[in-house]
Formats: sequence, structure tokens, C-alpha cells
Amino acid sequence: MLSSYFFLAAVDDGADAGKAIALALGIGLGALGAGVGIGNIFGSMIQAVARQPELRGELLGIQWLGFALTEAVVFYGLIGGLLAYVLV
Amino acid sequence: MKRLAALLFGLSLVLPSLALAQEGEEEDKGAFISEEWELHEWIPIHLGPIDMSINKAVAYLLLGALCSCLIGIVLMRVKVGRGPTRRQALGETIYEVAQVQVAEQGLPTHAIGRWFPYVASLMVFIWTVNMLGFIPLPLSDESVTIAGVELPTLAIFAATSTLSVTLALALMTFVFTHVEGIRANGSWNYFKSWIPEVPKVMYPLIIPLEILGQFMRLISLSVRLYANMLAGHMLILTFVGLIIVLENVFLAIVAVPAAAIFYLFEVLIVVSIQAYIFAALSAIYIGSAIEPEH
Repeated sequence: MLSSYFFLAAVDDGADAGKAIALALGIGLGALGAGVGIGNIFGSMIQAVARQPELRGELLGIQWLGFALTEAVVFYGLIGGLLAYVLV
Repeated sequence: MKRLAALLFGLSLVLPSLALAQEGEEEDKGAFISEEWELHEWIPIHLGPIDMSINKAVAYLLLGALCSCLIGIVLMRVKVGRGPTRRQALGETIYEVAQVQVAEQGLPTHAIGRWFPYVASLMVFIWTVNMLGFIPLPLSDESVTIAGVELPTLAIFAATSTLSVTLALALMTFVFTHVEGIRANGSWNYFKSWIPEVPKVMYPLIIPLEILGQFMRLISLSVRLYANMLAGHMLILTFVGLIIVLENVFLAIVAVPAAAIFYLFEVLIVVSIQAYIFAALSAIYIGSAIEPEH
């Protein structure tokens, strides 16, 4: 099913090149969004703890929840890219 | 010293995958990476059209179930002498995370008694299966002959990096959510609670979106765990595999430490966070079905 999509060095025709671009764009754009989002989460966390250090324990759980929810965006991009690569 | 030991341990884990690469064909030198996710039947069991064969993922799942039972029994059930031991403290820490961070955050107070066992065992089970995925075990399709004895090679593979496993877990939460929602509110009130209070003109737009949203939860819950574990294993295997694909031994100076760093990142952070997230989201979904906001 997941055929060999690692050998982009061996791309020699247009269709393979298109698949390679789809895979790279899928992951890249996903990572772009998640990068902004995760930066936002940790930035807000630093601000919140700087203002109210006693809430740190409670905020940690929420922070990791938000982190994982945001980080998953990369993987939706990855799955989209893989689908484009494998199915088309 | 401890850090050095951890690093060496990490290095020793990524090395076995090198052995897999030796038999790659000429044009497809890196195919061994995707072959890691091919599931071959070990013990074929076919019940009519249903395929219940034991394969690599099933073996890992069974092992994970056994290990999570052992974790529960050894850490929490086996009584000790006087005074708390380190083992008991560890058990209490796991319990406290499951109680305070997962159950109390998502579930309403009167439902904790019923659903705490589910979310807590979900957390322990997913953590165990994820963790087993990063310990090299002799459960693989490849074999190596040492002194005339054919032994399976060490390989890292997580059962949660196959979509079927995570989808089954997510389906359980999906079914429990709606069963519990209907039981607590009655079916009419429950399905009505899906729709937010908006002007009636918006209904044709909102209702399909809300129904779609319920099913998107299923996808997001399963794909999040699956893709995290898949990407983690792929990163490690790809970095090590670069040495074989590009046929340059000196790449090991860069590639193996990079693989080890990703390995440590996965083991120390991703494994626990994904287990926590899955359990916490299950609790939140079930909790929000029992007590809709309006």
C-alpha cells in the first residue's frame, strides 16, 4: 500500500514529479500552520505564567492539549500528501 | 552519565534497522522503510469473509494488552508492607493524572464513577502500545541466521501506527459518546443539542455541518494518533535509511545522532502526550454528550 515514496531522487517523469510536489507541499503547508499555532500556544503560556505563576499547574494540562491538537495539523497534511502520492 | 546512557541506548535501538537494508534491490534501495508497515499473516484465521489472522500488529496489540494489565496489577493492586514505596508512588502518579487531568477535566462529576475506568484504561493501554513501539523486539518478518539458528531481527513497530487499530479505539469512543448521550438526555433532546442556537434561516447550513462535525471527530481522533506514530517511526527509519539510500557511510555521523534525537523526542514527549490526548478527548466527548451546553 505505502509503496516506495522515499526515492524522490529517482524521479524521472512528470507524474512522479507532480506526486513529489504534492507530498512536499502537503507536509510543508501543514507544518507552516502548525508552526504558527504552536508558537502562539507556547507564547501565550509564557505570558500567562509570567502574570500568574501560581496557575502553572492548571495551565500545563491545557497547554499540552492545545499543543497536540495543533500539532496534528502537520499530520493531516502528511496524510493528504501520502494519499496524493499513493492513490493518484 | 544518565544522559549518555540514554543516548547510547537510543543509538543501539536504531542500529538493527540497518540490517534490513542489505537486501534492497538496485532501483528501490529504500523500500525497506515502507515494507515495515506491510502486515503478513503469521497465523491465518479466516471466519467466512472476516479476516482474523494474527499478524505483526495483532501480536503487538496482544503484548500491549498483557503489559498494560501487568502495569495495572503490579503498580496498583499488589499490596506492599508498610510505608509507600517507589512502585506505589508511580502507580499513584498514573492514577492522579488519569483522575485529575483526564477524567475531571472532561466528565461531569456524576459520570466519573462510570467512565473513569474507560478513560484511564484507554490512557494506560495506548501509552503501553506506543511505548512498545519504540522498544526493539524480535517480532518482525525478517530473520537473521546466527550460528545456524534462524532468529527474527529486532525491529521497532507500533501497533498504533496502523490506521485500523486507532480507528477501532476511536470507534469505541464514538459509540460510547452517542449511547451515553441518548441514555442521559433521551434521543430527541440529545440530537437537538447538537444544533447551536442560531436564527432559523441558518439551519440548512448549520445542521449538515454539525452532523459532519460529529463524524470528523472520529477521523481526527484516529488519524492524530496514527499519523503521529507513523511519522515518528518514519523519521527515525528515514534518517538511518539515508545512509543506505545515498550509499555513504560517513553520513552516519549526522544521520544517526539525528535519528537518536528524534527517538528521544518521540519516547519522552510524543508517546505520553498522545496517550493523554486520546484519553482526555474521549473524556471530553463523552462528557459533552452527557451534559450538552444548552
